Amino acid sequence: MKMKKFINNPENLTSEALDGLAAANCDILYRGEDNMIINKGLATADRVTIVTQGGSGHEPAISGFVGEGMVDISVVGDVFAAPGPQACVDAIKLADKGKGVLYIVLNHAGDMLTGNLTMKQCRKLGLNVVKVVTQEDVSNAPRENADDRRGLVGCIPTYKIAGAAAAEGKSLEEVAAIAQRFADNMATLAVAVRGATHPSTGAALADLGEDDMEIGMGQHGEGGGGRQPMKTVDETAEIMVKALVKDIGIQSGEKVMLIINGSGATTLMEQLIIYRRCEEILKEQGIEIVANYVGELLTVQEQAGFQMFMARMDEELVRLWNAPCHTPYLTKR
Amino acid sequence: MRLDRNGLGQMLLCAARRLSENADRLSEIDSRFGDGDHGITMNKIARLIEEQVLSWGERPIAVFLDDLGMAAMEVKGGSAGPLYGTMISGLGMRLGEEESELDGDSVRRMFAGCLAEMEEITTAKVGDKTMMDALIPAAEAVREAGSDADVKALFTAAAEAAEDGAKASEGFVSKYGRARSYKEQTIGTPDAGAVSTALFLRGLADGL
Repeated sequence: MKMKKFINNPENLTSEALDGLAAANCDILYRGEDNMIINKGLATADRVTIVTQGGSGHEPAISGFVGEGMVDISVVGDVFAAPGPQACVDAIKLADKGKGVLYIVLNHAGDMLTGNLTMKQCRKLGLNVVKVVTQEDVSNAPRENADDRRGLVGCIPTYKIAGAAAAEGKSLEEVAAIAQRFADNMATLAVAVRGATHPSTGAALADLGEDDMEIGMGQHGEGGGGRQPMKTVDETAEIMVKALVKDIGIQSGEKVMLIINGSGATTLMEQLIIYRRCEEILKEQGIEIVANYVGELLTVQEQAGFQMFMARMDEELVRLWNAPCHTPYLTKR
Repeated sequence: MRLDRNGLGQMLLCAARRLSENADRLSEIDSRFGDGDHGITMNKIARLIEEQVLSWGERPIAVFLDDLGMAAMEVKGGSAGPLYGTMISGLGMRLGEEESELDGDSVRRMFAGCLAEMEEITTAKVGDKTMMDALIPAAEAVREAGSDADVKALFTAAAEAAEDGAKASEGFVSKYGRARSYKEQTIGTPDAGAVSTALFLRGLADGL
């Protein structure tokens, strides 16, 4: 089937998208070698720096969060594919300002492979790097088997928290510990009602038919959760909030961050309706939302659905979330 | 027999041909539960092998294998680049830079080094439906071969064990990557990476 998409040669998708990002945000970032997107402020940074990696096709993630207060260098692979380790090692070398580098990797097979190879090479070179893995998908493994949990939208607030901690002048060990504490206390559930197509090949990433939805869709339509007939928005929100609260073990009186992240083809109107219901449910349980975001952070092309993210918050995490940042798709003053 | 730089170059070229010739089949296998691009990626790696062998120059075997592996890691198209890069680098990891002619002992070290490097980056075991289904038996076959086995016998044993392993992967449930979420549905389809690993090792043996 012919794709109705605004693309030129599929081979150049990633490169052209990165060119566009760099052109549109030339005050914040620039494009480096090997599909790197680099924070302009890195040149004068005297602090721990943040490097991440991942495939393209998830815009605005990951490169849309390069800038002051978040990511210093993102290393981009091909569509839905991890970059190679050499590019990541080069990025870490470039990012290191003498205070060390926090390297954030999402738990997907290819990214983990590159992450392991990169760390191996960094040890050989004696670079000062700590790796933090985000793995918060509650749908494909219980909390005890965190290594099987996929990394979803939780990487974005992790960038924010880590970037703010670095900006405060904390040491690499402190920045890594804060990022890890946040990551250990977060959970995401993805729901999809209509799959996306792979923009290079036109292949369907998931087929959900006319009447079904899948809770636990993962990032690229891998599935693995509960396929069921379409439910109302309020019912869906209830199922998902319940699962997240249970997974993290949030108690009445605790404070949370809540993110509704659109997957690409679910409207902001729908996302706001979902958020409204989540807020009601949490209030009934005596749980306070102290940080939030509603909108697209990490998408899967035109997949319809959303990811609901929750994290346990404390005073320090709230302060770091609210700290200033300036990136193409998230700015706080 | 002993294997010199030219001999190993011929083996690598033969392995590259096997991968290119079977690229469509690899993509077809991969398309059932994966991204369907394994053949495309292996074709890129095959072209890289050809280019690098033709510009080998004076580099010692150990250095060449490490350079080739590092270059393969950067081949775009999913995990195959880093995995093949590690496998190829691993083959040279336990060779000394001064070794210009390889004997049976060298080949045993090649496979032992290769397996050790791979096990450092993946926890996949035989039965997880990955390329390790072919590589682990190949390395074991080399390790367990009789002390009279020469270079040719060792590479042949590795190729045969890898082919058996790739065939056996048909019966396994996928535990890694995108195919994993298809669980029992993956039974009956071999792992594309195991098949390509067997093709690579068969190509090395046939190029001798």
